[in-house]
Amino acid sequence: MTPSSRLTPYLYVLPLVALLAFVFGYPLLRIFEFSFKMVRGIDGPWIGLRNYQLVLGQSLFWESVLHNLQLLLAIPVMVAISLIVSVLLSERVAGWKLYRIIVFVPFVLAIPIVAVVMKRMFQFSGPVNELLRWMSLDFMALDWIGSSDVALWTVMILIIWRESALGIILFLARLLSLDESVIEAAKIDGANWWHRLWHIILPEMRGVIEFYMVISVITMLAAVFSYIYIMGGGRGGPGTSTEVVELYIFNALIRSSLPGIASAASVMLFLVTGVLIFLLFRVRRRAENF
Amino acid sequence: MTKSAYPMLTRRNLMLTSAMLAGGAALGGLSKGAAAQVKDMDMWYWGEQELPGLQKYVNDSVAKYKAASVKPMLQDTAVVISQFQTAAAAGNAPDVQYLWNGIYHMESVWLDYLRGLKSLIKPDVLAASNPTMLSHFGGDIYRTGWYPLPMFWCYNKTLFEKAGLDPEAPPKTWDELLVACDKLKSSGVEPLGGGIQDGYWSEWYITHSLPQQLDSLGEAVELFIGDKDFNDPKYHEHWVKLAELKSKGFLNKDMSSLELYPGIDLVVAGKLGIGQTIGTRLPVDSKATGGKIGYMTMPVFGKGKLAAMPVVDVQGLGISTNAEDPAAAAAFLEFLQSPEQLKAFWEATNWLPSNTTFDSSVIQDASVRGLWENWGLKPNISNVTNLMPGQFYERAAIPTGQQIVAGSITGEQAGELAAKTAKEWKDFNPDMVENYRKWVKDLSSPT
Repeated sequence: MTPSSRLTPYLYVLPLVALLAFVFGYPLLRIFEFSFKMVRGIDGPWIGLRNYQLVLGQSLFWESVLHNLQLLLAIPVMVAISLIVSVLLSERVAGWKLYRIIVFVPFVLAIPIVAVVMKRMFQFSGPVNELLRWMSLDFMALDWIGSSDVALWTVMILIIWRESALGIILFLARLLSLDESVIEAAKIDGANWWHRLWHIILPEMRGVIEFYMVISVITMLAAVFSYIYIMGGGRGGPGTSTEVVELYIFNALIRSSLPGIASAASVMLFLVTGVLIFLLFRVRRRAENF
Repeated sequence: MTKSAYPMLTRRNLMLTSAMLAGGAALGGLSKGAAAQVKDMDMWYWGEQELPGLQKYVNDSVAKYKAASVKPMLQDTAVVISQFQTAAAAGNAPDVQYLWNGIYHMESVWLDYLRGLKSLIKPDVLAASNPTMLSHFGGDIYRTGWYPLPMFWCYNKTLFEKAGLDPEAPPKTWDELLVACDKLKSSGVEPLGGGIQDGYWSEWYITHSLPQQLDSLGEAVELFIGDKDFNDPKYHEHWVKLAELKSKGFLNKDMSSLELYPGIDLVVAGKLGIGQTIGTRLPVDSKATGGKIGYMTMPVFGKGKLAAMPVVDVQGLGISTNAEDPAAAAAFLEFLQSPEQLKAFWEATNWLPSNTTFDSSVIQDASVRGLWENWGLKPNISNVTNLMPGQFYERAAIPTGQQIVAGSITGEQAGELAAKTAKEWKDFNPDMVENYRKWVKDLSSPT
């Protein structure tokens, strides 16, 4: 093979690589650069690590991080719900195709629409509390979006409800592709529903569950802005009780005119998310080797 | 010899034709020269979003204006400032730019994106437009007023009557307010509040309450940048008062989960006694209730010179430093302040223009007329929250009110949070402190 023929494939992909570098690489480099500058308008003087010091020294940033970490608690719930519903649907109960469409609807709807509807439902005088009061469960009629103690959990309910839909569809697709003869053989051998789930279905689904968990971790750390923005009144409220790192970045950039601070927080979020994803895949690879 | 199909071109004809062509060319040149004298200007504006009819008014105005060709563009709410600043940084800003009040345009002044108007606009026109103190910096003024936004407390007169209160004599002092709230509550009505979920009620509360302990708007700036201390009881007393309303059970129970406008709707719907509102809502709300929406300044508890002053925020227009012909842009702004244009503004928007010479005889609604006479024409102050750095607004102004209403913090704790945020702002923005301190000098007058 001549040197020129070895280069040929790379030349073919060069335009796409250049395009990707421009679209993703350039902004990323600029964000890294801005994180070391005090930016006013479109540029500013170099200030070293000062932006990072300010961000890490601000209690609001750590509060935001804590809220993101709290949202990770939703992932086991989402996995469990997705698993249960998908397994039930895979049993092909009457009307299962219709149910499949219904459970996927939340994921098709745009987050702002879902969040606005949920927000109305969870208002203090909204339908959820009215129903609870009608059922004489007044003690459960909380100020779902108005109380600092409850608001983040309410957002979590919405996230679980919507994001589980993706899990259900992913899991169901995997379940429907399983070799049914294995399950039938287990049935003949006397394995009950639980045994079949635990010893046959779950091991077969490990890959898709891990994939879903990785996606969910990324979502909870770096893609819940729309939920928080709508449910938290555009500000992560009440107070700062639903503020997450994404909103912190948004506020720093748009509302406080601090692009340098926003960039420093973005870089940290990018690195932490990257490291977590790397670790998750590493754990998965190690598990596969055993 | 056959006759040519074309007439013979004689020397005489040639000369005549040449003369005609030359004349035509000269006339063409002249008309081109004349066209070049009509200036082309860009105007970026916002406001249709809060004042329906404004877009039509602008389109009609630029069509009517013959001294220049003005190309208007309605901006999206999210980019009013950033779009202008980015364009200005690139040297492509429009000649005329819409400007929100206070810090929302002052940052552009500090970045040298806006021109001072004192040397461009006639002094009487500039003063009549009421650009407000918040547009003053370094001895110059950077906006003309365009339309006012009176801000006030509103109340439902029917509910006042039901509670045995005089609907024409709303409470003037804090003690009177507490008595009124008590009576409203006893009559089965939620006395006071609105919706604070989106945070704006919190901001408006500061708009009305913080000035009560201030002697000048400059004092507010000193607080926001940490040169004065929110831990001083007089500077957080307004939050203590809010906590008092909460502890006495005078705030509506769903306040924390409602947004600003649905909260105001409660007053109009006769479900809430007293709330905070803005002038542009008054014509519709007054009509909907048959004139039963009253207005008042926030009952007084403070001892500052600004206590009990009506609040009038004003939206405005400015001229960018990129404007090729600032005099032409200034002439257009003066045109918008002419009596005919003020009348056209009223007709298109059913709202008041910001000009003290506006002929208010056209106002039919007694409430709107009263508001104009008492808020627009009498001594007033601008919205103090427009002086806040964005970081303070987001971190302190909004969360404090929300948390007090939710019962999570006290007024004193709100003061601590505000003081801490002011210090934080200084750390984050060392380069801005000096500009704010200079601004304090311009804002030191009480009106």
